[in-house]
Amino acid sequence: MTETVRDQLLRKLESLDQMPSLPVVVSQLLNYLEKPPDQLRISEVSNVIARDNSLAARCLHLANSPLFGRYQTVDTVHAAVIALGLRRMKEIAVSCCLLNLTPSSGPFDPVLFWEHSLECALLSRRVAQAIAFPHTEKAYPAGLLHDIGVIAHLWLVPNEFRAALDVATARHISLQDAELEILGITHCESGKFLAEKWHLGEELTTVIAFHHDIDRAPEHRMLTAIVALADLLCRMNAMGYGFPEDRQVDLTTEPAFACLMSESPTSKSVDWARITMEMDGYLEEVRRLVALLFRSK
Amino acid sequence: MSSTMPAMASAVRSSGPPDPNLVKIRDLIYKSAGIFHPDNKLRLLEDRIARRTRDLKVIGLREYLDILTQRSSAQQEMAKLLNEITIGETYFFRNQPQLDALKTIVLPRVLEARSKTPLRRLKFWSAGCSTGEEPYTLAIMLSEELNGLLKGWTFEITATDLNERSLEHAKQGLYGDYAIRNLTAALKQKYFTPQNERLQVNPSLKSLVNFSRLNLQDDTRMLFMKGMDVIFCCNVLIYFDVTSKRRVIQHFYTNLLSHGYLFLGHSESLYGVNDEFRLVHMPSATAYVRGDTRHVIGGAP
Repeated sequence: MTETVRDQLLRKLESLDQMPSLPVVVSQLLNYLEKPPDQLRISEVSNVIARDNSLAARCLHLANSPLFGRYQTVDTVHAAVIALGLRRMKEIAVSCCLLNLTPSSGPFDPVLFWEHSLECALLSRRVAQAIAFPHTEKAYPAGLLHDIGVIAHLWLVPNEFRAALDVATARHISLQDAELEILGITHCESGKFLAEKWHLGEELTTVIAFHHDIDRAPEHRMLTAIVALADLLCRMNAMGYGFPEDRQVDLTTEPAFACLMSESPTSKSVDWARITMEMDGYLEEVRRLVALLFRSK
Repeated sequence: MSSTMPAMASAVRSSGPPDPNLVKIRDLIYKSAGIFHPDNKLRLLEDRIARRTRDLKVIGLREYLDILTQRSSAQQEMAKLLNEITIGETYFFRNQPQLDALKTIVLPRVLEARSKTPLRRLKFWSAGCSTGEEPYTLAIMLSEELNGLLKGWTFEITATDLNERSLEHAKQGLYGDYAIRNLTAALKQKYFTPQNERLQVNPSLKSLVNFSRLNLQDDTRMLFMKGMDVIFCCNVLIYFDVTSKRRVIQHFYTNLLSHGYLFLGHSESLYGVNDEFRLVHMPSATAYVRGDTRHVIGGAP
């Protein structure tokens, strides 16, 4: 019997030998920054980053962007950590490390993937802040990593993934429906698999697995809903995967929105129109940054 | 530290964070007029403010912010600033994502809803049409669809404004370079005739738009604007205080058919003005629909 695309993908995901591994720095930073604040040392964090020159260079591009709250030009990692704080620096470093994780050639432009991921991370952070989510620091990495299943598809089944994107574009259906049809597996499912392999932790794994199906998320529903909503707004604002989703979205009928409304009283008074308009201010800057990061890869 | 890289220093930008007074003025404009300047438009806002500070001979943003917040001067100065902000804002095909949304999402939905009624005629209203670029753009766009989406349908466009001078200009239909900068050569040729340095709207296009003078605060006349499929009201509400704004929006709500759409200017919102209309997102554009009808969401989940 011939192997289905799904079986082939799962087999390759199991061995992981056809994919790059998660940069050590990411797990170091993610673990290190989980420590209580009084145990964190700025020099340790900046040393982890500065050890890798190209990573340090990329981090500085982000550290000097208004999107990360720059107040003065910084030209060393150490200065950046001091100026922006450890949390922002972690966001920056994790973003930069992950950039190496997409194949640089193939039937899909990795720039589109990173623009979407970075925009979604920023918007998740913004939404978390707007609804007064108690763990705002979790929103950025969750937004950044929500689609890592796509990375697996890009490495392991690139042509089939391209075909799924084309089907989604031509038939105006969602990416995950097209993936189910062509690959027999969605980026949520492969993402969950990859997240477990990479030991990203239960919370991130839930977001990755359920951002298109909030109602089935066993827990961490708020964080998943924040990312799902940010993802949706990105796609409606020209930050998808390069295919236009010609549809009308009424937030009030979205399960993610309903979840936020029921779990966060602050959500009811959020000005979603303003958040949408603020996104216009990110778009150009996100595009500029991702272009810069790819040039300095 | 090994991370100091001289090559990097030149690559990073040196402009500082936005002036907090500028951010405060931005928020003040949003609060009073519903018009929002995202961070990448703050420079533009600063230029517009500079025109006011020059006239007023005030030195800095801090001092200007005081004028905008002092009870004696706030209202009058805000009106003047808003004039500067919206100046030169009108030209043909100004908001392409909005027009794309109209074509790809709104029209098909409106047609579907309308096809259940006997009359195959759509009604559009450009409320606050200024010098006519918006309703003529709409007329061009809809005319282009007469052999496509709108085959077998007719439409009427009502265009109203309070300002008689603007309406005269609109009816005359003569436009210079600035207004026509987004028009393709094909559209210019099809719908306009050159006249000296300018372009004159052809009579056939003109006949598609009914211009008339209307004060949006005239409750009696507002009641007559019935049965609309789509209302455009771009950069008009900014001149109203919250009470008048609420009244106008309430009128729009009843003027629209239950499947109808309200489009505002690109950076305008109804937040805090009306909670019956629901915000809907379309690719790179937003609109408002009546909250009393649940639309079936088409396409992807």
